[in-house]
Amino acid sequence: MAIPEVEITRFDNRGAPGYTAEACRKLGLCGEAAPFFMDKTGGLMQTIERECPPPRRRFFLLRSPTRDILQFLLLIAALVWLLLLGASRSGYKWEWYRVPRYILGVVEGRLTAGPLLQGLGLTLKISGISLVLAFAIGLLTALLRLSDSLVGRAVARAYLEVIRNTPMLVQLFVIYFILGPILGIERFLSAVLALSLFEGAYASEVFRAGIVSIDKGQWQACYSLGLSVTDTYRFVILPQAIRRILPPLTSQAVSLIKDSSLVSMVSLTDLTLQAGIVVSETFLPFEIWFTTAAMYLVVTVTLSTVVNRMERRFRIAG
Amino acid sequence: MAEKTLGDYIITVKEVCKTFPGGITAVRNFSTDIRRSEVLVIMGPSGSGKSTLLRCLNGLEERDSGQIVVDGIPLDENKRNRLEIRKEVGMVFQSFNLFPHLTVAENVNLAQQRVRRKSREEAMAMTRDMLAKVGILNKIDAYPAQLSGGQQQRVAIARALAMMPKVMLFDEPTSALDPEMIGEVLDVMKNLAREGMTMVVVTHEMGFAREVSDWVIFMDEGQIVETGTAEHFFTAPQEERTKLFLSQIL
Repeated sequence: MAIPEVEITRFDNRGAPGYTAEACRKLGLCGEAAPFFMDKTGGLMQTIERECPPPRRRFFLLRSPTRDILQFLLLIAALVWLLLLGASRSGYKWEWYRVPRYILGVVEGRLTAGPLLQGLGLTLKISGISLVLAFAIGLLTALLRLSDSLVGRAVARAYLEVIRNTPMLVQLFVIYFILGPILGIERFLSAVLALSLFEGAYASEVFRAGIVSIDKGQWQACYSLGLSVTDTYRFVILPQAIRRILPPLTSQAVSLIKDSSLVSMVSLTDLTLQAGIVVSETFLPFEIWFTTAAMYLVVTVTLSTVVNRMERRFRIAG
Repeated sequence: MAEKTLGDYIITVKEVCKTFPGGITAVRNFSTDIRRSEVLVIMGPSGSGKSTLLRCLNGLEERDSGQIVVDGIPLDENKRNRLEIRKEVGMVFQSFNLFPHLTVAENVNLAQQRVRRKSREEAMAMTRDMLAKVGILNKIDAYPAQLSGGQQQRVAIARALAMMPKVMLFDEPTSALDPEMIGEVLDVMKNLAREGMTMVVVTHEMGFAREVSDWVIFMDEGQIVETGTAEHFFTAPQEERTKLFLSQIL
């Protein structure tokens, strides 16, 4: 049956007043989505609509950004004012010009890393190794907790409870002062071990959540195709789970980098310890600690940004 | 289907029981035998245990008691037997269960390479054949989310067929599809039946049952209520429960 194209300007006969073209537009029933209406004689009609207007853009085009910029500047000004006030109250004399040499210095005519940059190097080294280990431990623990093995589940559970219910600093001391001499582990290794064990416990919960979030149908399909449990994890479950847990894994990595500052407690000259040393040499606590915080910030923000990009690239198509 | 010759029994099911932890008995003392090249349709109201029974046939659901033998291999605790049955029995699900992070080709290749130990090239050749068979070769590089429901289900069928199974199980393969896509999936299944594939199909598609099934089981409360040809169910159902059910779906 051909449908007469009539622009509806009257009510339909279903007793619903207001189904005029205007109402259709308001209800978003434009174009192809428009339903067929019966007119009073019982004939079918389809609404024909003029093109819908483009969607309204909020904020960016309709509102001038001046207000946002102004707010931002005000916020910065307030922070700076607070800082300067604090400094002047305590009679602090800013000496920013003395800071750069502690980051990059010229020794015997050659550009060399200052103590802060050296410290950052160690921080990155410890964090990098610990990160790999922590994720490996985390994945293993998650798989153990989800396995059929009673012993495996018990071991994983015990590890999680111990790690999550004691302070990391205490764990570091236990490993460094007690396990270190017994097992002959030196300083650097103790720190890496403590950090990976600590973060691994949290990472395992993230992995577990990611794995159990994958639809059971995926397991069933793999089972019926004859795939082994290992292959199912490797080719089907983990690739999907890891895409899903990238954001919480990243924040776990950021935590790890921040928590790595605790290794200064066993006299590893990481960024934090180096900063402390520089402060005690120069009496520039404000400048040095701000610089140190900024250096941590650069590392963590860079990491987050890179992972964010990756996440967008690996997003499942469709 | 008169020209088709049925072979020996490929699946024997004997006194199978399955009760779920909640106390609901899904399958009660179920016994049946399925011949090679036979197409068996299982019907019944929802909750009648037909899907559970189907899942018991390849061990996806663990039965409580009874015996199942597939092509001479008992489905038991022995992992090697179980793996053998998993390889020989293909399964198609209501919700397709394609791997969303893999392309169509990778979906079909995966088990061939990992389970059948084929090279990528060998697997790919088979994949092309199977995708051509289900009429979807042009989507070989697409991701599942880029396909319609009917296309996804056809890929799922191709994925199962690429393992060269001796039996195919279909668990309500068209129930999650929009009406206009049911036909394309049923057509693929009909062709498969004509080629002599042994098929056990849980479905409410009476047209399909009438056209290709050798016999139909009507199940309720985990038991067989009535068996017969599809024609029998159309013309002369005996049991009250069968009549009631048919009157609701036809």
